[in-house]
Amino acid sequence: MSSDAAIRTGAIPERLLEPPLTEGVVTPGSLDDQVLAFPDRRPPKQWYIGLAITLTALVIGFGFIGYTIATGIGVWGNNSPVFWAFDIINFVFWVGIGHAGTLISAILFLFRKRWRNAIARFAEAMTIFAVMCAGIFPLIHVGRPWLAFWLFPYPNQRGVWTNFRSPLLWDVFAVSTYFSVSLMFWFLGLVPDIASMRDRTTSKVRKTIYTVLSLGWRGAASHWQHYEKAYLLLAGLATGLVLSVHSVVSFDFATSVVPGWHMTIFPPYFVAGAIFAGFSMVVIVLVVVRETMQLKNLITMRHLDVMNKVILGMSCLMGYSYMMEGFTAWYSMNEYLHHTFMNIISGTYGWAGWLTISCNIFIPQLLWFKKCRTSYFWMIFVALAVTVGMWFERFVIIVISLHQDYLPSAWRIYKPTMVDFGVLLGSFGLFFTLVLLFARVLPVIATTEVKAILPGAQPSHHGDDHE
Amino acid sequence: MSSGKSFAVLGLFDTPDALMGAIPQVGAKKLGALEAYTPYPLHGIDDALERRRSPLGGMVLVMGILGAITAFGFEYWISAIDYPIVTGGKAPSSWEAFVPIMFEVTVLFATFTAGLGMLLLLNKLPFFGHPVLSSDAIKAITRDRFALAIESEGEGFDTEAAKAALLAAGATQIEVLPEPDRGPFLTSDYILRVAGGIFAACVVAGLAMYGAVKLFPVLPPMSHMEDQPRLNAQKADPFFKDGFGMRMPVAGTVARGYLPLGVASQDEAASLVNPLPSSPQVLAAGKKIFHNRCELCHGALGNGVPTLTAAYGAKPANLQAQQFRDYPDGKIFWVITMGKNAMPSHAADLTETQRWEVVHYVRALQRAQNATDEDVKEAGAR
Repeated sequence: MSSDAAIRTGAIPERLLEPPLTEGVVTPGSLDDQVLAFPDRRPPKQWYIGLAITLTALVIGFGFIGYTIATGIGVWGNNSPVFWAFDIINFVFWVGIGHAGTLISAILFLFRKRWRNAIARFAEAMTIFAVMCAGIFPLIHVGRPWLAFWLFPYPNQRGVWTNFRSPLLWDVFAVSTYFSVSLMFWFLGLVPDIASMRDRTTSKVRKTIYTVLSLGWRGAASHWQHYEKAYLLLAGLATGLVLSVHSVVSFDFATSVVPGWHMTIFPPYFVAGAIFAGFSMVVIVLVVVRETMQLKNLITMRHLDVMNKVILGMSCLMGYSYMMEGFTAWYSMNEYLHHTFMNIISGTYGWAGWLTISCNIFIPQLLWFKKCRTSYFWMIFVALAVTVGMWFERFVIIVISLHQDYLPSAWRIYKPTMVDFGVLLGSFGLFFTLVLLFARVLPVIATTEVKAILPGAQPSHHGDDHE
Repeated sequence: MSSGKSFAVLGLFDTPDALMGAIPQVGAKKLGALEAYTPYPLHGIDDALERRRSPLGGMVLVMGILGAITAFGFEYWISAIDYPIVTGGKAPSSWEAFVPIMFEVTVLFATFTAGLGMLLLLNKLPFFGHPVLSSDAIKAITRDRFALAIESEGEGFDTEAAKAALLAAGATQIEVLPEPDRGPFLTSDYILRVAGGIFAACVVAGLAMYGAVKLFPVLPPMSHMEDQPRLNAQKADPFFKDGFGMRMPVAGTVARGYLPLGVASQDEAASLVNPLPSSPQVLAAGKKIFHNRCELCHGALGNGVPTLTAAYGAKPANLQAQQFRDYPDGKIFWVITMGKNAMPSHAADLTETQRWEVVHYVRALQRAQNATDEDVKEAGAR
């Protein structure tokens, strides 16, 4: 019997049915006991070990940041003509990591991809932490971070306004809006979950904290009505926003005249790269969370499989973008663009170009195989490769384009210093410290959202059969 | 518990279907206002409870448009009116570059309206004093049970009838909620009123300050360095009769270091004598200037054969020609000062001393290229 005929007769073959979103028997009550109990228990030993490592990285990194601020940004390797290097590479890298969270929580919500519910909370938290890490770099690169508020247009005694035609100012607005919106989205999702924690905790201190944080949420139907509407609206707004933020970041480069930057493909190319890198980071963190927090029945292999498919799709998009870069260099007949492209695949930094292409295009092709998509070893291997590759992609875009542009007398080889690496390490330390603290004190899975998609969770005459 | 006035009667149900079934049954008896409490949103419960559609969408649309207008107005006023600076060759009023920030501010306004409007305005949260929060049932409600409450709408609330109605509809557990004995300490109304008060105070203070400064200019709130009586270069000023801010120098004024040469033509300049001695220092200085400014056209040897000649098609003078070797120093000095044919004047770039240094060096070049036996002997003697 063909599939079409089967659907018409109502006998849907099992392979066409959506597989269950959870494994084993999960009820709303067992879900709460499994997810919301973490903050009440003492964390396992691995948690302390992880925190020790990330805090060490954080302290080292912030030492280097303090050194940078006290001495001046001359301690970095940046110098004419490579005025932008690690600082902007790391900024773009971290903002990109954040994009996966918004994609999962907003865009997949609009597409009614119900598998997102189990991983949305963690991905959203990672968005917020990644944007915080990203914010560090422009802040310290201004040299006098205590004057960073000059970036905002406010009436001042200097009689000077900001330049609204500068993509750097667009960046200020885009990233601060992105952070505010992500935080709002995340907090709204947390409110009902914190209310559940408030009602199950036995500690008085925790109860007080959760009472305040949950704002006195009581699950009234009239509240849910407005809540769902607000969530839908926020998802719609965040969808437009997430596409705009990395586009605006790409404008920093695309609106300039530097060969290798001045290309119209940059906005979509950057957005695809951001989702690519972000999903890889989410896969790495989810595998660790799933194993150490015993969440295998909620974050199933199917989740990881689907995530890996997204990574594969984005990898192909990146391949297209790289080829377009080469095509543009050739088709434009612009000798400067041509020279820059040749620098990517040969020249001093040719190794970085090939590392980028290998990590982002060749290695993710492993994910065509279901065996690789469902094997920890291979998916972590690919995700780490993508993380490294995407960092180097920004290195290639920024350093290679800058180190040799129009004027040969101004060419120069860029070399990062130890401080550059130290600050990068510190941002990783901050990110993973925040991730660990989040996993310790707040529900890592949006229990309310998962409860709503469990079998039998909806009234039968309205419920699951018409989605 | 039942001694005081009751606020509501709460019935717990085990499944969503049981709750949905109970709503029309209990609602038909019209004992009070109905409200359901659930651990997660249930499909179709808004229709069952006959709720109106949420007005949030309209609020967000209005505030989003307001955000777009605010951002555009702000950017336009700053970039085109208050602080017009030409960037990238674009007119100050070119609006295309304002779009990204307009979009971001639109999203920002809309998001805060959706989030805070939902919490503070529509749901009246935070609200810590609601009787349901202190009920026994709340633990079950935020976990996995579904509650239906019949809430008192005034004096005529019949607690017993409400209990009976919920039991008849299949409630597994009944709880009577008393009226709260004290008011909540922090409510959304309070927060909104305080925030509104602060906002109003800021607006009033700002307008009052603006009015005070405009109406009583003797009370400047602060003095700027730019607001002082002074003459501005290149600007009109009523201080002088002719209306110019700048004054002309007195006739015959000579700038320091620019004493007139006292000669009017190249032939007259022949009488000028090089005031510098032909010392190694002077020659070194002249050589450097020659390298930087003369060599490009006249060639490193002064023979008029540099690389640029072919490119420009011009024929710079061959300083080794007999004509120029016979020139007195003053005539060379004159050409450097005034320029000749295609050669521009170097008076603005080189001081008088520097020009004489170059003259010395040209002389040295000429002598070196046309050296005689005596010259060689002299050089050997040194």
